[in-house]
Amino acid sequence: MFISKVMTKNVVTIDKDADISTAQEKLSKHGIRHLPVVNENDLLIGIVTDRDIRSALPSSQSTDKDSIAKIASSKVEEIMTRSPISISPLDTIQDALLLLQKNRFGALPVVDDQGKLIGIISTRDLLREFIEVLGLNDPGTLLCLLVEDKIGQMKKIVDAVSEEKISFGSILVSRYWEEGKRAVFPYLLTQNIGPLKTKLKNMGCSLLDPMDWYRDSHPK
Amino acid sequence: MKKTGFLYDERYLLHDTGPNHPEKPERLKAIYRGMEDAGLLSKLTLFQADPADMKWIETIHSKEYIDRFETSCRSGITVFDYPDNQMCAKTFETAVLAVGGVIKAAQKVISGDLDNVFCAVRPPGHHAEHGSAMGFCYFNNVAIAARYLQIECHINRIAIVDIDVHHGNGTQHAFEEDPEIFYYSIHQHPTFAFPGTGRAFESGNGPGTGATRNYPVLPGYGDNEYHGLIQRDLLPVLEHFSPEIILVSTGFDAHVDDDMSDITLSTQGYSRLMERIVALAELYAGGKVISVLEGGYCLERLPELAANHVKILLNQ
Repeated sequence: MFISKVMTKNVVTIDKDADISTAQEKLSKHGIRHLPVVNENDLLIGIVTDRDIRSALPSSQSTDKDSIAKIASSKVEEIMTRSPISISPLDTIQDALLLLQKNRFGALPVVDDQGKLIGIISTRDLLREFIEVLGLNDPGTLLCLLVEDKIGQMKKIVDAVSEEKISFGSILVSRYWEEGKRAVFPYLLTQNIGPLKTKLKNMGCSLLDPMDWYRDSHPK
Repeated sequence: MKKTGFLYDERYLLHDTGPNHPEKPERLKAIYRGMEDAGLLSKLTLFQADPADMKWIETIHSKEYIDRFETSCRSGITVFDYPDNQMCAKTFETAVLAVGGVIKAAQKVISGDLDNVFCAVRPPGHHAEHGSAMGFCYFNNVAIAARYLQIECHINRIAIVDIDVHHGNGTQHAFEEDPEIFYYSIHQHPTFAFPGTGRAFESGNGPGTGATRNYPVLPGYGDNEYHGLIQRDLLPVLEHFSPEIILVSTGFDAHVDDDMSDITLSTQGYSRLMERIVALAELYAGGKVISVLEGGYCLERLPELAANHVKILLNQ
């Protein structure tokens, strides 16, 4: 839930006075795309990405060796983004998802209330968490249900699942194109799904063919 | 007509999964009845199982797991590793007999006593992992038989075709790095079906890269999709691998009337699938097929499905 629990703590950083070729080496050595730039007190002062470096360097077709060497030896400070958008360890995964999407970033540095860099959270960390939250690493079966959009529907589903002594891996509720209906996707940690399906059908719950699930509008 | 073996042992009925469990002894009784009603018993070579030598089980499962399974079973515990795995005091012995039966079937096919064989075993095996039971499975019967064939019979191109509607995670994981054992599975798409593995991009690791192939089928699809994939994919892939023997993890749970999945394969669709597998074995593997029961829970359909399956093996 909180960034502090899912961020990468051992952050690879770089000094503002390092040259671009050093930054490039660090990125490729660690297989990463973002390098926070910190000062001697670990305060975050900038960020440099593989894209910043690629745009700074001349194209690989360039033959002007002197100019390539000159750019490669120029300082990180010259190409970094200053005062980058960061996130706090007490912000949430939801905050990070929205912030990354809004700004089209691949990662956010995590700083404490003194401005010190204490971690980094990337789309990679969020994907791992998403896989975990969905329960994808646990053996199970996904049910696709269509229920009326009114209070108490979920209780019926949960009761039926509990009566069959089945555990939940996760459960998602989503919009459905038809007004007054909701799609519910329980991920259940069992192979034995037959009796529960029959029970749900008898309760008036319809099983939704996943091929027929459209969120906002039914295609013409 | 082929010399087809039928492994059936009443001791397989002793694995008691309690009330309301789909993987129940009646499944085997239904299969036996199917053979009887179709007049097949006199045409088949019936044989019973011997308990497996533990050294073969240890080629796939850890010693720690085997001991844990035996101890739990003998202590009277009735749920093992996951709530799906209901067992009784006889489950361990029965599981050892299931492995032993499939190994005996392998010996008979390799020695030429039989051309091919159908093993009606319980408990099933393809979900069983190195160190855990899963999805009604305790010992991976097919994986252990494949290792037996590889080590004891020096067969170095073995194909396992898994037609159960669920992905055989245990079998895939056992051979993911082994280029000599090709695992090909057709199953309901793992986003919707148990156990959630067997995605198209899972294709083996290291030296085994390319020797695992998964073909997920979306819910609601059936005969046409299966027929297409056999022509487009299974045939060329196995032709290229050119196996010396084909092991089939036979699950009848992709049938339209089986409520364990949303795949809609018809009775004829099942026959067509098996006919192609047997034809492949004729072409490349001297006709050698060892078919081993995995899932399939619709008691009304099992007799006919199993009888049709065996008729195809008999080439009747």
